[in-house]
Amino acid sequence: MSRINIYHLYPTHLNLYGDRGNMLALCRRAEWRSIDVNIIPVNPGDDIAFSRCDLLFMGGGQDSDQKMVAEDLKGRSRDMLKAVEENMVIFAVCGSYQLLGRYYITAQGEKIEGLDIMDLYTEKGKGRLIGNAAINCSLWEPPRTLVGFENHGGRTYLGPNLQALGTVLHGHGNNGTDKTEGAVYKNVIGTYLHGSLLPKNPLLTDYLLQKALAYRNQDSSFQELDDSLEEKAHQAALKLAGLQRK
Amino acid sequence: MEVENNQQQNENAGFTGGRPPGLRLLGAIWIGKILIFLTRKLGRGGTTLPGRAALSIAPDLSFMLAGRLKRGTIMITGTNGKTTTASLINDILDKAGLKCIHNQSGSNMAWGIASTLIENCSWKGRMDGDIAVMEVDEGAFPDVTTSLQPRGIVVTNIFRDQLDRFGEIDSIQALIKKGLDAAPVGSFQIINADDPSLASLTKSKKTKRWTYGLELDLPPDDFQNTGRDVKACPNCSHKLEYVKIYFAHIGHFHCPSCSYKRPEPDVRLTGRRVTGEGINQIEVKLPDQTLELEVPLLGIYNLYNVLAAITCARAFYISTPIISEALKNAVPSFGRMERFQKDSKEMIMALIKNPVGANEILRTILNQPGKITLVVAINDRIADGTDVSWLWDVDFEQLAAVKNRFSSVIATGLRAWDMAVRFKYAGFEPGQVQVEENFEKAVELALRQTGPESKLFILPTYTAMLDIRRYLNKMGLGNPYWEEY
Repeated sequence: MSRINIYHLYPTHLNLYGDRGNMLALCRRAEWRSIDVNIIPVNPGDDIAFSRCDLLFMGGGQDSDQKMVAEDLKGRSRDMLKAVEENMVIFAVCGSYQLLGRYYITAQGEKIEGLDIMDLYTEKGKGRLIGNAAINCSLWEPPRTLVGFENHGGRTYLGPNLQALGTVLHGHGNNGTDKTEGAVYKNVIGTYLHGSLLPKNPLLTDYLLQKALAYRNQDSSFQELDDSLEEKAHQAALKLAGLQRK
Repeated sequence: MEVENNQQQNENAGFTGGRPPGLRLLGAIWIGKILIFLTRKLGRGGTTLPGRAALSIAPDLSFMLAGRLKRGTIMITGTNGKTTTASLINDILDKAGLKCIHNQSGSNMAWGIASTLIENCSWKGRMDGDIAVMEVDEGAFPDVTTSLQPRGIVVTNIFRDQLDRFGEIDSIQALIKKGLDAAPVGSFQIINADDPSLASLTKSKKTKRWTYGLELDLPPDDFQNTGRDVKACPNCSHKLEYVKIYFAHIGHFHCPSCSYKRPEPDVRLTGRRVTGEGINQIEVKLPDQTLELEVPLLGIYNLYNVLAAITCARAFYISTPIISEALKNAVPSFGRMERFQKDSKEMIMALIKNPVGANEILRTILNQPGKITLVVAINDRIADGTDVSWLWDVDFEQLAAVKNRFSSVIATGLRAWDMAVRFKYAGFEPGQVQVEENFEKAVELALRQTGPESKLFILPTYTAMLDIRRYLNKMGLGNPYWEEY
């Protein structure tokens, strides 16, 4: 039987916008395919055995929590970067997406050093970018839509060689100006979208699971599931954003 | 009047009673009254528009009108329990012979409060009441405190709620602090001692503070995996420790690093027994005496609402027999475990709006005997919160764990499909979950599927509740909400 070890970073501190939904989607969709899922919660100060971790999930947090998290992660950044280069999967939402970059400036103007795993940085902006969002996601060819909700004060800018997760069809995206949303580097995906994101976008959930299986050379061919409910929710969200699937 | 009159201090703070209203104020009152009449004619509650128009003419209208109330204003704010607590305080003061002006939930922003004041004054601006009991939205709390200059404030709790509106929980706490600081010298504050984010709020002025809290041993259950919104000590950021947790971050906390701990409450709930009819028999210890009370409201969260109301009543020196009598006859506020009877079928509607509140509702539902038909109605309008992520923090897994108790599970509302997916991932069988986006059809469907042995529970978000309630009114069930006060 295949097996995936999911390390859940700081579940008590990074859990702001229904991140429980993302974890639930990963677990259920693996279970439904009889893939054994092992969840390892990581609290500040705990060891992360990167040699065992297949998928690292990082949720969103309040500014005050995030500072603590940044502090705690600093000592691990070398091991983390090494695992990333070897294709370990990371899925990071909102606050922890910002942490993957070079730095971010909090709403109070404080500069917090990031993990420097992705070539991006986050500035503070005027007002928060809030609302339903939909993007055209280039993880697939042809691109497929992802739907979610965004709520962030920071404006994130990608370096010239960093690929965005998608282009904005509706909403604000990384910074409200350049139409990019999220970022992808190797098997690391960062995004501002929650809602929760994964339950309504089963394609992305399966993508993460498959990459995690492939990372450990496990069979990543998947049995299809009946996703009619998820698909309806996806379509309803597209409709809310004034869009129909292309 | 049964109020003991031994404390008249500040009774007249801000009292503008004798002065005739200026022309601008009069004009604003008239416009407001006409608009209230017109919006009612259109079959709507008429709660915000009249106040909004009146305030644009006379921005100080609420200050002027509230200042005419002989016994001032009590404000109730906090994430959960505002409506029930306000309604209980209203019941007690009413029993004590005071004429109360009371806003209903939904008109708890500055405009709605102005509408309520206009509705309860004469065309000449004379207030038709002794005291106002106002539920106030946390976001509107600082400004409304400034304009109403209340005699007392009750803060129930702080949980994550409508993050799309409030940003983070820290900013809700900042709003509460700002509002408390805007209250007049000599006013009183009533605060939940079991909420670490409230007990740490310092007083910056000469105000009197009373606290209340639970001192019960409850059997542990599984409704706690949503996580606590307040984890760290507000003073030193060290992780808080608990001797008892009643739900979420509400309980007997202390910080192992600094001296911060749950304050010794002035009013304590020390005993509780639930009768077969769902009546809470409780023992409450006041500083000077012990009360035995009966309250027909379900749920642990309602124990806090009852305590807050008792503490507030004592701040007004209301005698304990009157408090007991009022609480014994308490009925659920509108949409809060509100009961309807359709033919022989029992329907119970309970508002859900955030994870902690919703979990407490689910816990209460599962404590009911018999089979359950469940309708969850999720809208994402501004008053509901436009972000439905919170559904994933609600412990629907606890329902799915006993899925055989559900004759059917129906998702409805603007985000019906999101809710259906939530049910599926909670562990319900996909075939067990029905989706009917139209809420009228959803309620009809649910009624058809509710057998004689089962109860129908409807859990709507705020605007979905208004829609469903209006529909039930059309069927002749319940009263339109603007006729209830």
